[in-house]
Amino acid sequence: MHKEAAIREPLILGKKTYHDITVDVCRVVEDRAPKMWYVLFTIACIIGLYGIGCILYLIGTGIGTWGLNKTIGWAWDITNFVWWVGIGHAGTLISAVLLLFKQRWRMAINRSAEAMTIFAVFMAGMFPMIHMGRIWMAYWVFPIPNQFGSLWVNFNSPLLWDVFAISTYLSVSVVFWYIGLIPDFATLRDRVKKPIAKKMYSILSFGWSGRAKHWNRFELVSLVLAGLATPLVFSVHSIVSMDFATSLVPGWHSTIFPPYFVAGAVFSGFAMVQTLLLIMRKAMRLEAYITRQHVGYMNIVIIVTGGIVAVAYATEYFMGWYSGVQYESYTYMSYGSATGRYYWAFWALILCNIAIPGLLWFKKIRTSFVWAWLISIVINIGMWFERFDIIVLCLHHDYLPSSWIMFYPSAIDIGVFLGTIGLFSVFFLLFTRYFPVLALNEVKSIMKVSGEYYKNLPDDHHDEAHGSDNNNSNNH
Amino acid sequence: MSNNTSKVIANNKDMANNTTNTSSKMPEYFESRGETAPKEQTVAEFLGDDKLRESSTDRRDFLKFLGFSVAAATLAACEAPVIKAIPYVNKPENVVPGEATWYASTYYDGSSYASILVKTREGRPIFIKGNADYGMTAGAINPQIAASVLSLYDSERLKNPLASGAESTWSAIDSKITDSLNRIKANNGKIVIFSNSIASPSTLAVIEDFKKSFSSVEGTSNVELVQYDAVSYNGIRKANEASFAMNVIPDYDFSKAETIVSVGADFLNGWLLSNVYSKQYGAGRNPKSGKMSKHIQFEANLSLTGSNADFRGMVKPSQYPAVLAAIAEGVGAGSVSGVDTSAVKNNAALKEAIKSLLASKGKSLVVCGSNDVSLQIITNKINHTLGCYTETINLNNPIQMFNSEDDKVEKLVNDIIAGKGPQGIIFYGANPVYTLPNGAALAKALAKTELTVSLASWADETASVCKFIAPDLHALESWNDYNPRKNHYAIAQPTIKPIHNTASAQESLLVWAGVAKRAGRESKVYFDYISALWEKEGFTRQTKYADFYTFWSKSVHDSVVEMPADAATSPAFVASLSGLPIKKVSGSGNFEIELYTKSSIGTGIHAANPWLQEMPDPLTKVTWDNYVTMNLKDAEAAGYNRKMDQEHGASVVTIKAGNVTFDLPVIPTPGQMQGTIGIALGYGRAENGEKIGKAAFKTKEYGGYEMNDANVRQSIGQNAYRLTSFVGGALMFDAIATLTKADGTYPIAMTQTQRTAMGRNSITKETTLDIFNKKQKEAYNPPHLVESVEGPQSIHDITLWKEHPVENVGHRWGMSIDLNSCIGCGSCLIACQSENNVPVVGKDEVRRGREMHWLRLDRYFKSENEVAIGLNKKGIEDKYLEDNIEDNPTVFFMPMMCQHCNHAPCETVCPVAATTHSNEGLNQMVYNRCIGTRYCANNCPYKVRRFNWFNYPSYKKFTEINPSQDELGRMVLNPDVVVRTRGVMEKCSFCVQKVQAGKLVAKKESRPVKDGDVTTACQEVCPTNAIVVGDWNDPSSAVRSLSSEKRSYQALEELGVKPNVWYQLKVRNADNKELEKAQVVEEAVAHFLKHNEENH
Repeated sequence: MHKEAAIREPLILGKKTYHDITVDVCRVVEDRAPKMWYVLFTIACIIGLYGIGCILYLIGTGIGTWGLNKTIGWAWDITNFVWWVGIGHAGTLISAVLLLFKQRWRMAINRSAEAMTIFAVFMAGMFPMIHMGRIWMAYWVFPIPNQFGSLWVNFNSPLLWDVFAISTYLSVSVVFWYIGLIPDFATLRDRVKKPIAKKMYSILSFGWSGRAKHWNRFELVSLVLAGLATPLVFSVHSIVSMDFATSLVPGWHSTIFPPYFVAGAVFSGFAMVQTLLLIMRKAMRLEAYITRQHVGYMNIVIIVTGGIVAVAYATEYFMGWYSGVQYESYTYMSYGSATGRYYWAFWALILCNIAIPGLLWFKKIRTSFVWAWLISIVINIGMWFERFDIIVLCLHHDYLPSSWIMFYPSAIDIGVFLGTIGLFSVFFLLFTRYFPVLALNEVKSIMKVSGEYYKNLPDDHHDEAHGSDNNNSNNH
Repeated sequence: MSNNTSKVIANNKDMANNTTNTSSKMPEYFESRGETAPKEQTVAEFLGDDKLRESSTDRRDFLKFLGFSVAAATLAACEAPVIKAIPYVNKPENVVPGEATWYASTYYDGSSYASILVKTREGRPIFIKGNADYGMTAGAINPQIAASVLSLYDSERLKNPLASGAESTWSAIDSKITDSLNRIKANNGKIVIFSNSIASPSTLAVIEDFKKSFSSVEGTSNVELVQYDAVSYNGIRKANEASFAMNVIPDYDFSKAETIVSVGADFLNGWLLSNVYSKQYGAGRNPKSGKMSKHIQFEANLSLTGSNADFRGMVKPSQYPAVLAAIAEGVGAGSVSGVDTSAVKNNAALKEAIKSLLASKGKSLVVCGSNDVSLQIITNKINHTLGCYTETINLNNPIQMFNSEDDKVEKLVNDIIAGKGPQGIIFYGANPVYTLPNGAALAKALAKTELTVSLASWADETASVCKFIAPDLHALESWNDYNPRKNHYAIAQPTIKPIHNTASAQESLLVWAGVAKRAGRESKVYFDYISALWEKEGFTRQTKYADFYTFWSKSVHDSVVEMPADAATSPAFVASLSGLPIKKVSGSGNFEIELYTKSSIGTGIHAANPWLQEMPDPLTKVTWDNYVTMNLKDAEAAGYNRKMDQEHGASVVTIKAGNVTFDLPVIPTPGQMQGTIGIALGYGRAENGEKIGKAAFKTKEYGGYEMNDANVRQSIGQNAYRLTSFVGGALMFDAIATLTKADGTYPIAMTQTQRTAMGRNSITKETTLDIFNKKQKEAYNPPHLVESVEGPQSIHDITLWKEHPVENVGHRWGMSIDLNSCIGCGSCLIACQSENNVPVVGKDEVRRGREMHWLRLDRYFKSENEVAIGLNKKGIEDKYLEDNIEDNPTVFFMPMMCQHCNHAPCETVCPVAATTHSNEGLNQMVYNRCIGTRYCANNCPYKVRRFNWFNYPSYKKFTEINPSQDELGRMVLNPDVVVRTRGVMEKCSFCVQKVQAGKLVAKKESRPVKDGDVTTACQEVCPTNAIVVGDWNDPSSAVRSLSSEKRSYQALEELGVKPNVWYQLKVRNADNKELEKAQVVEEAVAHFLKHNEENH
């Protein structure tokens, strides 16, 4: 037990005991799912399957089923890819960076944020695959020995760096997430009564017994993985941004892209965390754990990263103008775009990423669940537009005016994107149904324990409060 | 498993033991020479292991073997289908598998003529280029000629003769036709051979024979030959008859003209022998010597010719008389009575024309595109006054083509329609049902004619209403001879055996005349006829060759025999300029229509050729469609869409001229005279779904044809020939119409939607002849400088990368493109498509911005805010450039293909290294390695990379249009170039297959590669020799010296990608005071030059 300053707001509201926490979290898994879950799950499945159908049609017929053309070789595919990767950033940032910085409020949200990360990276990783003209040759991007003699991948290509960055990120995230889940799976294993569920959770918990040695190793591995994951938070999106930054396309060729992309990723990631958690909080009755304070903190992160993004936009616009280079007058941040035929995309970006998130400067709005939720959705949309603008607007008016062209998405473009949202939802709904959505062992460590607390406990609860529940594999 | 493994190991041990055992009998190795092997050895001993016999296959092993062999058998059964390659049993002569055979031949389709070289591979013609060594066309062709090889493999070409629409046999139709002809002859009826201009002496002789066979008792023939061209030049013949008493089309020489004035004549595209004129024109446009011709054009439509002019006057077709009269007056040729010149008097181009004509007296040429004899007489008078008839025009060596006799045609057709026509009509080369204004009425009337025979190769509009079709051979299958100019004879030789059961038209005529007998596919009837005629007429007139065989072989080899030409003389001008009847087309309406022919579709003969349909119009960049070109202001006033793209179609107008009404989309086009519109001829073919070729019809988004209510394939565009009219015995190609806006929009497939160069001076560079002559290079073609601590430095010296090791090592292939001689005709584009198997993708895909052309022609119009195309006025921001296009803009054509950058941006970004740099400076695309990320295309600043969005050779969307989905059409594919699969990137390879072949030629001759060994397809067909390819590392190569010319620059040089393509900037022979002020040596450049000088 550690001591906290009395003036600090408690991170868990209400008079919860360790047991209450266990029950609150495990209840979801143990009870029958509410009707609404089935409704949402069905809808998500339908959309997801539709998306899979679109992808199969795409692979069967050709990339021409998308709206791309001779000038615009990437559009929604890579937009969606970068968008999903960006969303994936919040999880790792929350669990790794905030762990290193000892931000204990993260504990209520890190489990689901990490889950979101992994599912988002799944979605993201799919796009570079399906956007290939010949997906059946996708394994050629790996530096594997082959029968072609000295033929090797091109280490100069940022796309290859992407392959390494994304795959590393995904594997570290999965391992980090899973390690954290092991003690909680053990708790579930000990609580559930149905034999199949018991068997499954016992497999998933890897024989966790809750011995001190286990806890010791667990803490150690968590810390090491956090240390590993932290640079990845910055490297992944830096490398994704190099797809653009190292190219020759006006608007893409920009040295500020790496930090600006990372900030943007955190910006969109936190927005997505809020979008999901604020619903989950209500639906799963987690009001005591995910509080106004969390929303406030997260929105502060959003304000900071959003600020960085806004400064980056301004810099891009200024540099384009100040350079006096003709080609820069039609990049995504330029007069040409603001007044051109893509003006709506330009202004959607400004509105969704600067103007509306600007409301978060007001504390009332920042700490309001409804406002926070609405603004988080706006930010998600805005960040999609940011990637769309960077990719499509910069390409559609590049060097030779003879090749200038517009991009119009096809039904398959839209179907694939919606499909990934559907699939993501399917994964996330399954996660909320079968996984402990809070990190039980961690949350229990931030329960405010003080004299006041003890005084208010009912007599028969004194026993439990003595921390026996910390060893959660043995009790309840 | 582990058990098994140990067992195997154990076995091995046994084996090893065994070996040692046997070694007592049989030594493992011989220790000395004396040692001998035991003489006898049983098989068992030899095999060694006794224990092996004991070993047995247990159940598990048996199952393993079974499993393995089943799996192996299954896998073996999955093998790809076996594609058989059957070798020759008897190798044909002249065919070396894998090597191309070139045949010299001649192309003539009634409107285009050229001496050509046909490339055949394993007996299939696959590529056509001009014959640069022989013939009056000197290698110049046009896109239609280059694409005509594809028509040979058109699967809708007739395969058998037809009788009443049903397939028949030659003997059957021959007897019926002969019977009919004889019956007509017996009744003293009339037979007409209705043909296009016949330029073949042998064909004319055949027709004479035919005439003789059907002459009446009195000796006058019942047979008449009526020659008719879809686009008539009868006015020129008649004018020369009136002016000089010579019914001829003279031989023009544009290369000798210092001043060229054209009034509505599109002489670089379609007008008479435009390919020849393109070559001559190009020769006069090189400013290196300090001189170049001055070209002034007056026209209503912005034609290809007008877009190359130094001065362009926009006038209505009804003002052409005024322009000519004003010029006549200005140059002192006298005044034309009854023509009011006040409307055009103040036209700046007109003043320039008069001034320039007077300054270069004699060394000038005035041409007029009108078919009105009066206008041609005025033109003749001007040329005569200026003394051109001894310099640039030769009346004594006339063109023997374009023999249309408009008045005769009009009378004949009216007679047929009125039921008073001949009893027998044989159509040859002409398609009057499609091309005549009253063609529809003619079609109806033909049904009532006793005998109608067509010699067409397709069941086209006219042929399909004839009782019999005796399909002619394709030009590439048949022998023929030509006499296109008085002193010029040519031979066309077959390059392939007849593919179908067809026979040459001449043979058919001879058979019907009873002079010859059918001889099947191997028939030599017409060949014998030609050689006999040449022996009689040709051989006797020459003295060079002693025996006919040598003469004939030489003639076939060269495809050309040239006789000495009669020198030009200037006969007395006998016509009068007063009281000339100027023909006026009748009708009322708010717009004058000028009908024109496109460089791709021409008169409509090739409307079913998918290469040509997909070729963007040089000016509007529209493919697969017919449309109205209209002035931007007119379009704005009427509320028509001014900009179009994938999802924004063109407005539709209803055109009503006389009793002709149809709808067409409107393409607002800069340079179109206000109050006029242009409509291209050659579209709207096969309105009743006649079988003229699969690609002549509209297709749907997912394949299949668009059908009309009667379930007939919808033709592309509208038939604008219906707007032509006979005025006073002359076919006129303008009209007056009322335009009203129709509902809805029409999807348009354009390859370029942007119209200006947006002031991007590092892409398009131009100057005037004056500046070019007077100022130093750095004024009009300044180097790109980068500021550095050591002062300004050339962009070439600043790079983070190591120089690609191609300079001065081995070869470095380079290309130079002269933007001054490039006229934008598009022959290069078609040649590239033909050579490199570039897929056709159809209208819907082009609309989506996915055309596959490896080589494109960028076209830029001048904005009011630019001093010259690509150069902004001072202080003007780019944003004002697009919407302020000049009403009468200058135009810039820029062939754009892979620039083969030595620091190629595409190469660094490919994750799998599928695009790499060769050690000869080529940027190579490895299709097999490509996984299709399209990153390279995004990173290409020239946007020349093309992605295979679908499987073009098999996807159903392309069945109707892509020749490679057609059994027969596939024969046109070049076997040296792979057909790309879906999902891979492709682009210009500099015709790497030709580069390799060129190197091989030099190697076989044990000498270094020299200029001419290595050529690209685009270079080979360029009529103006604007494209030069060669080894830059060879100091004596043309491309090396061109790369350091004063006009030489590289597009987007400042990016530092170091292309291997150099452009020669455009020089206009016009004054441009603003440009003179703008193009001065800037301070930084001067400093840089001085600095450089001090250092060296």
